[in-house]
Amino acid sequence: MDRTQWLLTESQLREWVRSLLDAGNSVVAPVEEDGVLLFRPLTSEERAILAPSGKTRWSPKEFLFPRSEPLYRYTLDGGEVEIENPPAPQRPQVLFGVRSCDAGGLLRLDEIFLSGTKDPLYAARRESTTVVSMACAAADPECFCTAVGGSPVGEEGSDLQLVPLEEGWLLRVLTEKGEALFGDVDERWQDAPAAIAKEVEKLERRVAGQIERSPVKQEWSKTLEDGFEHEAWDRLAQHCLGCSVCAYVCPSCSCFDMNHEANAWCGEQCRSWDACTFAIFTHHASGHNPRSTHQERYRQRVLHKFAFKAEDDEPFRCVGCGRCVALCPAGLDIVDTVTAAVAAIREEGADAAR
Amino acid sequence: MTEANVTVAESGTGSVPEGWQPHIVALVCNWCSYAGADMAGTTRLEYPANVRMVRFPCTGRMSPLMILKAFEQGADGVLVSGCHPGDCHYVQGNLVARRRFTIFRSLMDFIGIDLRRLHFAWVSAAEGHKWARVVSDVTAAVSEAGPLPAFESPEDWDGVELPSVGDGGPQELTADQLDLLRANLRRAASEVLAAKRVGVVIGYGAGSLPGQNVPKLVTDSSACEILDWGHGCVNNLSTYIGDALEHNDRVAVVVKTCDLGAITGLIREDQVRRDQLLLIGMQCPGVHSGSALAAKCLSCSGDPHPICDLVVSVDGVHESCLDPSDAALDMPDARDEQIAYLESLPYAERWRYWQRQFGRCLRCYACRAACPLCYCSSCIADKHRPQWVPTSIDNAGNSTWNIIRAIHLAGRCSGCDECARACPADIRLDLINRKLALEVERQYGRVGLDPEEKSALIDFRMEDSEEFIL
Repeated sequence: MDRTQWLLTESQLREWVRSLLDAGNSVVAPVEEDGVLLFRPLTSEERAILAPSGKTRWSPKEFLFPRSEPLYRYTLDGGEVEIENPPAPQRPQVLFGVRSCDAGGLLRLDEIFLSGTKDPLYAARRESTTVVSMACAAADPECFCTAVGGSPVGEEGSDLQLVPLEEGWLLRVLTEKGEALFGDVDERWQDAPAAIAKEVEKLERRVAGQIERSPVKQEWSKTLEDGFEHEAWDRLAQHCLGCSVCAYVCPSCSCFDMNHEANAWCGEQCRSWDACTFAIFTHHASGHNPRSTHQERYRQRVLHKFAFKAEDDEPFRCVGCGRCVALCPAGLDIVDTVTAAVAAIREEGADAAR
Repeated sequence: MTEANVTVAESGTGSVPEGWQPHIVALVCNWCSYAGADMAGTTRLEYPANVRMVRFPCTGRMSPLMILKAFEQGADGVLVSGCHPGDCHYVQGNLVARRRFTIFRSLMDFIGIDLRRLHFAWVSAAEGHKWARVVSDVTAAVSEAGPLPAFESPEDWDGVELPSVGDGGPQELTADQLDLLRANLRRAASEVLAAKRVGVVIGYGAGSLPGQNVPKLVTDSSACEILDWGHGCVNNLSTYIGDALEHNDRVAVVVKTCDLGAITGLIREDQVRRDQLLLIGMQCPGVHSGSALAAKCLSCSGDPHPICDLVVSVDGVHESCLDPSDAALDMPDARDEQIAYLESLPYAERWRYWQRQFGRCLRCYACRAACPLCYCSSCIADKHRPQWVPTSIDNAGNSTWNIIRAIHLAGRCSGCDECARACPADIRLDLINRKLALEVERQYGRVGLDPEEKSALIDFRMEDSEEFIL
């Protein structure tokens, strides 16, 4: 497909968002709510924050994998039971202004929900979703996408990409789905010259230069797995408080639990977010818990991001958004943890007793 | 969840569907009000049929969870009724319950539940007439209040602009003074480890982000150089005491004055003994939230508290360990104006404000994890038989969780604000906690730093106020 690209001013960008809304899309974009930057369905193009000063508090994954969603509902009427399927998505959805790391995170979710047996609810939502990503104008202190193979202007997972320029934005079509989002392109839109690629490279260099993390290496996955029982984990995870901030703000964490909400007349079977950092996540009915300490649970989360891979060259499941680093109430840092774990395992041998 | 045969008001419209009748759940004590209702029936008294009764052994058995469950399931009003003070079948159950309901009611009011929906009464077994009258009055009041507002975040709502908290806070320390404090802290920590007074020092080290400090456990007196001190030392380290005591007989904790209430609470509630702790009280420059001083610091002098064993200031390290029996933690709060402002808003506005806050809740339970006084080995939110707190991450479940978390800490919360700091959604849990603390203090007086004092909600007085009880 020919790459199509335009230069847009702020008012053109907002007009475009308006036209997406008018065409019946649910447009999910960063907005500010009580001082917190969050993805929310827009009611008006004016509310969208086009040039936020940081990333949204959590990723837009909840618009593909909701915090809680009913799998089926039922009502009881005397002896009669009526079962009802959850509603299919009514409107096509546009995820707008998604950072490159978050767009990559959506692909990690696809891996879980679409490979092998497809999850029908996720698949339907995914099918009707178009991702318009926004390359980063600056890195936040916690960002480390370049350390895990990403880029501030990465195209992975995006159907369309906006790149902030000194004035206005570059809009690039990356996939057919992205192309389909346009009806007739506004004739006032200015085609971007081919030389604009230089500007994008410049931006990438500048923003990547703000990230001071040394890379997490692919071969570490094996080291981490070999050192599964290494005593370093006890030390590295001793401050973990056992909440699930890291997992819930993570663009790629996909664990869930089945829960049931019911009263005397009706009920629903739901799928709700859950996290491997909770003790009850692996708590068996027998009372046994195979991951009974918070060290084991924290290790699970770290290794699920950086190890446990089917193929050696599989990308990490961590996309480097850094939210878990910024928001961990105990100040745990996942990059520091893997770096220290790998160092300890290499230094002391993989089987240093726990 | 869809609710059969209940009507939930469209939020904001305030319209009452035609033919609407309120659903009211009555939680009643078996020994008095239940029999009183029976008496009303056998006396052939007429009263509205809107009330559904749930029978309990005592008002003391009724948890706010049960009231919340009624609202969550769509009740428009709740009536709690038990024995008159002095008449409790179990001697004092209703007296403890009276305090609990007083405080719970003030929180429900704060988050925007119209108090015409929530009623408490003393009705004895002989008071059939009173039961009929109470039910009539309650039904009239709930009818007036209308259908319960929906548990949902308001759409396109501009929000509430809270008054700013102003300035204040401890005296700013120079870089040299901070260096001096760090040196003194390291020396103190190193000495207590070398002298084997403790097995571990729980302190702060540098974090990976600019200006960030993170908890660090130091066991070796030569490793105390990693200990740090400054604006980034936000954590209340008493959260780590329990774990540290599993491996050590005695632990040292680096504390700010605002952390001491939690430690007192842990001692008061028999989670730790004072002699297992060596408190290193620090002169504090105030901690940062973002780039500004945290709100809790604005009314704090930053002085280390003399009930600590060691007091570390720029002047040096001193042994102290003052008797805590007269020690107060006098902290007028810069946020009280924000609370007063919220209270001045109509119920509908307050409801919108808190529903939007609760709507953001991810149920990550960081508030619980960061709270030094949330130490239950199994939390009510994780229990499923019965499931009082809905697991689904939506406004109804989130409201129950956030309210019950606050209620379980009412009269115990020390105001360290760790829950609010840990919250990734910036839910103003600090305002809720502070509101409850104000109410507890107004009703039952202040509890200080003496572990021997009882916390207010496990105590009672015969003469406790009950002006709201029918």
